[in-house]
Order: sequence, then C-alpha cells, then structure tokens
Amino acid sequence: MLKSISYCWRLPATALCFAMFGLLGLVSGVLVFPLVRLVPGRKATRRRRVRALFRFGMRFFVEFMRAVGVLTYEFRDTRRLGRPGQMILANHPSLIDVVFLIAFTPQPLCIVKAAMWRNPFTRWPVMAAGFVSNDSTFDMVEQTAAALAEGQSVIIFPEGTRTTPGQALQFHRGAANIAVKAALIVTPVFIRCDPTTLAKNMPWYRIPPRRVRFTFRVGTDIDLAEFRKAPPPLASRALNEHLLQVFADELRSGGRPAQEPADRLLRA
Amino acid sequence: MLSSDQILQMLRTAFAELFEIDPARVTPTTRLSEDLEIDSIDAVDLIDRVRRVIGKKVSPEDFRSVRTVGDLVQAIERLAKG
Repeated sequence: MLKSISYCWRLPATALCFAMFGLLGLVSGVLVFPLVRLVPGRKATRRRRVRALFRFGMRFFVEFMRAVGVLTYEFRDTRRLGRPGQMILANHPSLIDVVFLIAFTPQPLCIVKAAMWRNPFTRWPVMAAGFVSNDSTFDMVEQTAAALAEGQSVIIFPEGTRTTPGQALQFHRGAANIAVKAALIVTPVFIRCDPTTLAKNMPWYRIPPRRVRFTFRVGTDIDLAEFRKAPPPLASRALNEHLLQVFADELRSGGRPAQEPADRLLRA
Repeated sequence: MLSSDQILQMLRTAFAELFEIDPARVTPTTRLSEDLEIDSIDAVDLIDRVRRVIGKKVSPEDFRSVRTVGDLVQAIERLAKG
C-alpha cells in the first residue's frame, strides 16, 4: 500500500521535475544568461558569471528533485572538485549525473553531446556557459586541452554516453588523451544510482519501484607522471586502461575504496 | 621543399615514435585504420605532429579523404605547397 502511494506520487513528481528542468533551461537560456552576458567585463569574467549561475540553477534543481521526493543523494568531498586544471572523470549511469556534477563543481566546463546544441531547452545554456561538444574529436581535444591549460576545471564522461546496464564499462580514449596532454590533476568521481533510473534507452515514465538513491564518491587523484614518460598515444592508451580498472574495481566493490581490504589484510 | 620520399620517411619516424609501429609496415598502400589501427584520437596526435613538421596550420578537414599512408603523403605534400 505504502509502496503504491510512493509510486503514484513519484510518477507525476518525475514529470514535474522534467517540466522544471525545461523551464529552468528556457528561462536561463533565453532570459537570464543573455542579460548576464550584457553586463560588461572581460570574456573570462562574463563566462565565470554564467557558470556560477548555471551551477546555482543545477543546485536548485537537485534540491527540487530531492524535495519532491523522487531521489535522495549523498555527495561527499565536493571541496576537492573545481581545482584549476582539474579533469573530473565520472561514470555515467543516468541522465542526470551531469546535473549533480555541475551543481557541486565551482566553474565547471562540461564536455556534452552535440545533441544538447539542438535541444531547445539546453542549447542556449550550453552555448552561454561555453561548454564543449563531443561532435568533432579534433576540436574537442583541442578546445578542452586549451581550457585545462588556462586553468579551467573540466567534467568529462569517458564512456562518451550513458552506461549500458549489464555491459562491461568502456571508455573512449579521448578523455585519457586530453588528460595526458593538458590536465594538472585527474580526479575520478564514482557515481552509483540505485535502483537504475533514466539509464540509456529508458523512457522517463519508467520510474523505479522505489525512490532512487544517488551516491557520489570523489576518488583519489590519479598521478600522471608515470604515464607521461611515454609518447602521447601510448600514454593515453595506458592511462585509459588504468582508468577503466580504477572505475571497474570501485563500482564492483560496492562503493568502498578498492584498496581498503588489502590494507586491512596488511595490518592484520 | 619536401619530396614524397621525405614525407614518407617523416611518417615512418612519427608512427614509430608515437605508436611503436615498425617502419617496415608503413608503405604507401598501408591502410591507416584497418592495418595500423589508427583511430580518431590517434589522428589528433598525428595531425599535431604534421603541423609541427611542416610548420603550417592544418585542420582535420585537410585529411578527410585520407585512407592510406599514400593518401596522407599526398595530403601533406599539398599542404606543404599551399
């Protein structure tokens, strides 16, 4: 009984969240961001303002989703996000992962799919915030490397698209390639979403049987020095393999740091 | 002025250094993606190398129709002239 009440509420609540997201996208994209961009200042300053507002909007949306009861979340160590030249790499279980990452990263630059530039609810915000499209590999690599070199923080989903549930994790080498070229810091963020919601090929109304819980864990920074000893293509292959391993270990281990059991054995 | 042979030599060195590919495998008829497994990310690094060697701005458009090492040599020759 309680379960069906929860279900009956979460279905319209989910619809409400989508509507809110669309509204936020439209209002910020056609009204707020253009107005803010009119405020004089250097190009970088104006971009900072837009990204700060973007982040605020996403934070509001996260709390909105929590308030209407469609999800709960835990996001620890957010202070380690948003350092200059930092590349933030995350797995991509659901449609709204990026909403959380933007909400908790100061001044984020995201690599997002080209379709965002065609969607009326997202096109103006992504343009105003100066996000990078994954459309052309060459431009993506060049633009992102340049942004990292000038000290911006970049959010990338190395899978390139949402995780296909039940399939082995696969990373495109683009993220590793850019990291080797230009990142000062590489930080993994492990995302869990239980039960699965808004995954690839899942329509919005197929809501999960219970309220979704999102957990975000900011992992240990990855040392690039060893990888950089090899020429870039080999280095990026090696780093890509390493990243896959790091994510696969973490996501298999049920959220506990992968090295923990070994440490305990050593101490015992 | 770079000759085709010099460009091929330059590519052999580049393939060896960047991808650890045996120079003997790099001939004009070698196909880049099928034979050498050069993907779009490798292409970025390769184009970057070409840009530094010929000292001119190049864009991925210049290599759109490149399939083999021979095509690549021709494309670079054209760019070096232009």
